[in-house]
Amino acid sequence: MNESNKWDDKQIAAVGSGVIILGALLFYWIGEGQSTVELLELAYGSFKFFNNPLVF
Amino acid sequence: MISFLSLNRRTVGLAVILLVVILLEALEVRASIYPGLLPYFEWLKNSSWLGYLGTTYGSVYATVEAGHLISMAVIGGTILATDLRLLGVLFRDIPSEIITAGTFKCFKVSLVCAIATGIFCAAGVADKVYYMEVFWIKMLTLLTGSCFMIFIKQPLLSSRPHSEINPWILRLLAVTSILIWFTVAATGRWIGFS
Amino acid sequence: MINELLLQFAHWLEAQQYSQMLVSGYYSWNWLEATHVLTLMISIGSLFIIDFRMLGWVLPNVPATTIADRLHKPMITGFVIMFITGILLVYAKPVENVQSLWFRIKMLLLLLAFVNAWIFNAKMRAADGSWDADRVAPKPLRTGAIISLCLWCGVVAMGRFIPYDWVDCDKVSNTTLLWAAGCVEQLNAI
Repeated sequence: MNESNKWDDKQIAAVGSGVIILGALLFYWIGEGQSTVELLELAYGSFKFFNNPLVF
Repeated sequence: MISFLSLNRRTVGLAVILLVVILLEALEVRASIYPGLLPYFEWLKNSSWLGYLGTTYGSVYATVEAGHLISMAVIGGTILATDLRLLGVLFRDIPSEIITAGTFKCFKVSLVCAIATGIFCAAGVADKVYYMEVFWIKMLTLLTGSCFMIFIKQPLLSSRPHSEINPWILRLLAVTSILIWFTVAATGRWIGFS
Repeated sequence: MINELLLQFAHWLEAQQYSQMLVSGYYSWNWLEATHVLTLMISIGSLFIIDFRMLGWVLPNVPATTIADRLHKPMITGFVIMFITGILLVYAKPVENVQSLWFRIKMLLLLLAFVNAWIFNAKMRAADGSWDADRVAPKPLRTGAIISLCLWCGVVAMGRFIPYDWVDCDKVSNTTLLWAAGCVEQLNAI
């Protein structure tokens, strides 16, 4: 790796924006996952896709 | 000072945007602007020719929706080729510089098509999408993602041989880009269910 | 006759417990449909990149067969997921789909698209490799790529039309349309 180019503007901006966007999107999807599990538990009494004891 | 700003304009720009977003949230500007946007959405649905076409001719609306899906599919194809190459999963025998440069124009054209058809689709149901959180998440991700691709990712990838970029930065860019366009597509699909 | 048999089969499917569960589950239908649509980005996305390469629109400096070979696996993976979710979607609402003109046209276009893909693939394998590094593929392959693009755009459009009710059985009176959509009861009533 070229040492002089190691941490220039483009790379710092790429890492900064990448970490922020990735973090925000992961936060969003984990939150969505949690609320989905809560809703399914509320609807079916436990985390199931269907209201049928024979099916997961 | 000026030379520092011009040498680091992307980093400084990112820091300024971040600061502005934090300030706007702290001062609750978003919450105060939101009600004022409703008349524009109502106008888009009831008075604009886009809204008129979309609500009057169902077949036109469905055809444009299909165009929106096809544009998103092409975006998916370019993202798949570029980002899986950056992750070292696909096209390992072809330099990633070639794949990145060769698909970007196609990405830009399909993004423009997706946005144009998306505006038409949103106009037809503007009074509905205004109240949907998932719509705003999609818009925010689309805006952020487009800026990320055009002002951050592509300029870095086209500025030098990829061997001169830390591999973890390439991986970060690829994973972020995949998650951005997955989110745009998934939230878009969820608008239809809400 | 075929319409009656299809409708009977659809009614039999619809009466099954699992079919009803897929529709009535909190998220099952939405997740299935969302997976089916989102996988477009992998399957049709890859396919279009291959077709665009044949036409010289993307990656003109990469050999065309290399693009086709490397994207083959993700494309097939995407189509397999779409195929499975598609079957489950039809299983969840069999009567609605069997009596949908758009669904029937979609199946016909799918069949044509697969035949075209098979011919395209055979032509690509049989062609003299000297064109591989050219900016655009030879005319027969370009024609195949354009037909592929048109057919798959048609498949996506027909898939998008299925939820709309313009030509539902209770909306049309034209006997040809009723027959094409498989509206058995309405045809018998005429």
